[in-house]
Amino acid sequence: MLRGWRWVAAGLVLAAGSPALGQRGDGRGVRHSALVPCDELHDRGKAVESAACYRGVLQVDDPAAQAEAYWMLGDLKAANDRFREAIKLEPEDPDLRVRWGYLYIDTHQQVEAGDLFQEALALDEDHMPAQLGMATVLASRFEGKAVELAQEALKRKPEQAEGYLLLGRMALEEGDLAAARERLEKGLEQALNLGLAPLEAYALLASLEMLEGERDNRWVDKALAYNPRYGRVYAEQAHFYVITRRYREATERLRKAVAVAPSLWQAHAELGVNLMREGLDEEGRRHLEIAYEGDPYSAKTVNTLRLLDTYDQFDTIEDRGPGADAAVRAVFRLDKDESQLLLPYVRELTSRAIDEFTRKYGFELKSPVRVEFYPNHDDFAVRTMAMPGIGLLGVTFGYVVAMDSPSGREPGGFHWGTTLWHELAHVFTLESTDHLIPRWYSEGISMYEEWMADVRWGEPVGPEYVEAVRKRELLPIAKLDRGFIRPKHAGQVAISYMQAGFVCKFIAQRWGEGKLVELLRGFAAKVPTGANIEAVLDLSPEDFDEQFGDYMRDALGPALDGLPRWRRNLKAALERAREGEWDEAVEPAQAAKAAYPQHVGSGSAYVLLANAHDKAGNREAAVAELQEYERRGGRQPETLKKLAGWLEEAGRDAEAVYTYDGLIYNWPQDEELHARLGDLHLEAGRADLARREFKAVLALDPLDRATAEYNLARAYVKIGDLSSARLHVLQALERAPTFGPALRLLLQVKQ
Amino acid sequence: MTGLAKRRTLLVACALALWVGLPCGAPAATHFLLVEGLGGERRYSESFREQISGMLAAVRRTAGEEALITVLAGTDATAGRIESAFGALAGRVSPGDALAVFLVGHGSHDGGGYKFNIPGPDVTGAQLKLWLDAVPAARQLVVSTTSSSGGALDTLKGARRVVITATKNGREKNATVFGEYFAEAFAATEADTNKNESISALEAFQYAESKVKAHYADHQRLATEHPQLQGERAESFMLARLGEAAALAEDPSTRELLDRRESLELKIADLTARKDELSQSEFLQELEALLLEMAEIQRQIAGEQAGSGGERQ
Repeated sequence: MLRGWRWVAAGLVLAAGSPALGQRGDGRGVRHSALVPCDELHDRGKAVESAACYRGVLQVDDPAAQAEAYWMLGDLKAANDRFREAIKLEPEDPDLRVRWGYLYIDTHQQVEAGDLFQEALALDEDHMPAQLGMATVLASRFEGKAVELAQEALKRKPEQAEGYLLLGRMALEEGDLAAARERLEKGLEQALNLGLAPLEAYALLASLEMLEGERDNRWVDKALAYNPRYGRVYAEQAHFYVITRRYREATERLRKAVAVAPSLWQAHAELGVNLMREGLDEEGRRHLEIAYEGDPYSAKTVNTLRLLDTYDQFDTIEDRGPGADAAVRAVFRLDKDESQLLLPYVRELTSRAIDEFTRKYGFELKSPVRVEFYPNHDDFAVRTMAMPGIGLLGVTFGYVVAMDSPSGREPGGFHWGTTLWHELAHVFTLESTDHLIPRWYSEGISMYEEWMADVRWGEPVGPEYVEAVRKRELLPIAKLDRGFIRPKHAGQVAISYMQAGFVCKFIAQRWGEGKLVELLRGFAAKVPTGANIEAVLDLSPEDFDEQFGDYMRDALGPALDGLPRWRRNLKAALERAREGEWDEAVEPAQAAKAAYPQHVGSGSAYVLLANAHDKAGNREAAVAELQEYERRGGRQPETLKKLAGWLEEAGRDAEAVYTYDGLIYNWPQDEELHARLGDLHLEAGRADLARREFKAVLALDPLDRATAEYNLARAYVKIGDLSSARLHVLQALERAPTFGPALRLLLQVKQ
Repeated sequence: MTGLAKRRTLLVACALALWVGLPCGAPAATHFLLVEGLGGERRYSESFREQISGMLAAVRRTAGEEALITVLAGTDATAGRIESAFGALAGRVSPGDALAVFLVGHGSHDGGGYKFNIPGPDVTGAQLKLWLDAVPAARQLVVSTTSSSGGALDTLKGARRVVITATKNGREKNATVFGEYFAEAFAATEADTNKNESISALEAFQYAESKVKAHYADHQRLATEHPQLQGERAESFMLARLGEAAALAEDPSTRELLDRRESLELKIADLTARKDELSQSEFLQELEALLLEMAEIQRQIAGEQAGSGGERQ
């Protein structure tokens, strides 16, 4: 059911971290003096009086002043028109563009806002408010350059509040509370010195002290004393709870925000989204609808309402733990078109993960895990809003896991099994620490658990990571969170994931897995990373970094210095292969493999060598190469299917089953894969598994449905369920009445 | 046509004739017209030639006699020759017969409608309709595997006609791969989804359609063709017999058994058509009874084959 929400580009959703407009000083562009008395009333929460005042400003013969007044009165379209008019009259005025840019920020259009700030900078490259505006836009995307720009703006004009507050906000987002306090106190001091409303400073200080452990602190009181309708103080706190993944606490703050300020639409939207993160969809919808009525420009609101409207196309299935009276421990939301195919595998993997992590981390789940698969990537993107990071495959909000469905991605481009395992590890690390775990450690444990679950799972080591190790560019352990929250370059998030995973692997190998659990307990007790490492491992963070660096360089082996050799040889091997000179391709491909044995991405030397050996008639060597490719995490479904086929041909059925089975977690949409695996299971007497595979074939709606039904009937015969066997063999014969093997099976079933 | 082949065709034709309201009695035949259009480039010319030759080999076994098959290719595939071929068919085809027309090649579509590209002036969709309408066959199948062939759907559709095209409309103008898979279906056991060892127009279409989808997915390209089937009972057009069925059709010792089997197939089809009127257990019970009979006939056919040295399934 679509209710006519206009679609707003999903790309905008990451703008959710944008700061609410608060501090009003020249740092955000010069405004008309006629607005000052109205602003004072507004900032004190005197809505009726301030509205009357702003209406008075509409009479001022200045379109820029009128734009600001319309904006404050909530008529954003008129405000936009007046800014356009003002710029026509004063095309060289950078302040006008900056102010217009902030209007765009207020309507969630960060890209357009960025364009206007750039235009202002083109008019005056030293324009401080434009620099600060640009920094604000970049900060909303969690881009590292924002800090640099804000510092520059502050250097240009130290007598301002806005720059300090922006830097303080970014420090808070990075979890650097000491730096945040220094900047925010300076921002407050400046605001008071300049006679500006201190509300934004209060709200950020309230967030700071909340992160330090005191939720309802003095700054909240001060803000509400200044303006009893200042719901933003709670909304601001909620923002910091969200980015530290403490969604329940964020919901509690947002409820307070809308209680104090019922027309704070952004808080309603955030509250709606947060309630959904807790699985409370209907209550979430109510707040989103309120938000939409008040602010139809919010991408977050519109997209989430659209997503909610699609939920009737999903199946919701509850899963209980072992035992007759067992409680529900998982709930799956799967698209109706693929739930039959995916459910058995998703259910089994989830159950296995819950058992494994409960045992390993000594934590019993207190609520069922909710697992959602989205075949439409845009739907998944909507579900992940407000999460900093790039290229997300799955997201965990406490007990709710949302991820792409394999059907939403290219074959081989997405391993849903490893992703689900990763996310389920988050459920345990988040919940066992009441979400107090730092991002790096939660990601690190999840990466580590992927590698531990199956040698073929987890992210293979990419060249960017090798380079970062070689150039000693890995972040110190105490600052590893920055690589996730405000990366300095596009690749730093991926590098930080890998580093975090290896840190956990290093700890587990050097000190034992028990230390991972001890660290988790330390984080639950709010011990910061450095101190936690020191306490648990009896090692200073600096010494840890040094030892980890040595470990990492050892672990990478020849790849550490091998990348240039790898590139050169792989290029030569690919060129030879392209020319069909397979014999000549072998030597450079071997050299490439030796230089960087971890590489199983596109153009992998293992695949190249397998082809060369096969063409030379050495199938055994070809199989060995592909098995190594598979063992190292190679994921191309066609290549792995070829390997499984070769193994079958060689009579190595058990190994073929291993390979086919691995493919299920990679590209389960392959009908032939399930049919082959079903046959192999049946031949080996594993009728239950054969039944699962033949059911998967049927779920894929095969062209040859008669054979699929017949195969399922065969599995039922082996299981001893003759009633189901009869049903399926009749269904096969209904489509194909002369189908000999099925007729013979019918006779067998009847006997 | 051999006697048995005629009888087999008669059974299907009777079912069809009754369905379209014609008398059932005289032996029916299926007439085939295959036209190979211009390839333009060598790779296309070769591909079209292969498609036609693959289909021809199959329909020869289905038709049973050469007189029922007309092939126009190369310089013979002109508008005039095609018109003459249709004229000849109009003269010799009986109302109880069936007609199957295959157009392989490139097509185009402009304001004037669909055009099949051949040497000399192209043939338009409107011309094809005129010529097809003049053939009295109670059942007609028209397959156009060309680009833009969907542009002919509206023109060619008719109550007694099944139309299959490679594209959903005239705007899908890129060269198609549908024809390759459609021709491939004529010899593909994988296409025989009802396991009766023959390929119907419906089975060939479904096979080709799924292969086209897989083709574009495998090549990670946006599909530029979306095959269409319009008309009813496409399953009643038998295009090809596979291995054993072809041999059986020539074997007089199995004739009676095959007739009984086909009669059972019709009963099962009838039962399936009434499925919604029955409870599931009633339906399964009736189906099972017919199928057990079928199993017995199959056993006897296999016995006959074994006795005569034929292959056993």
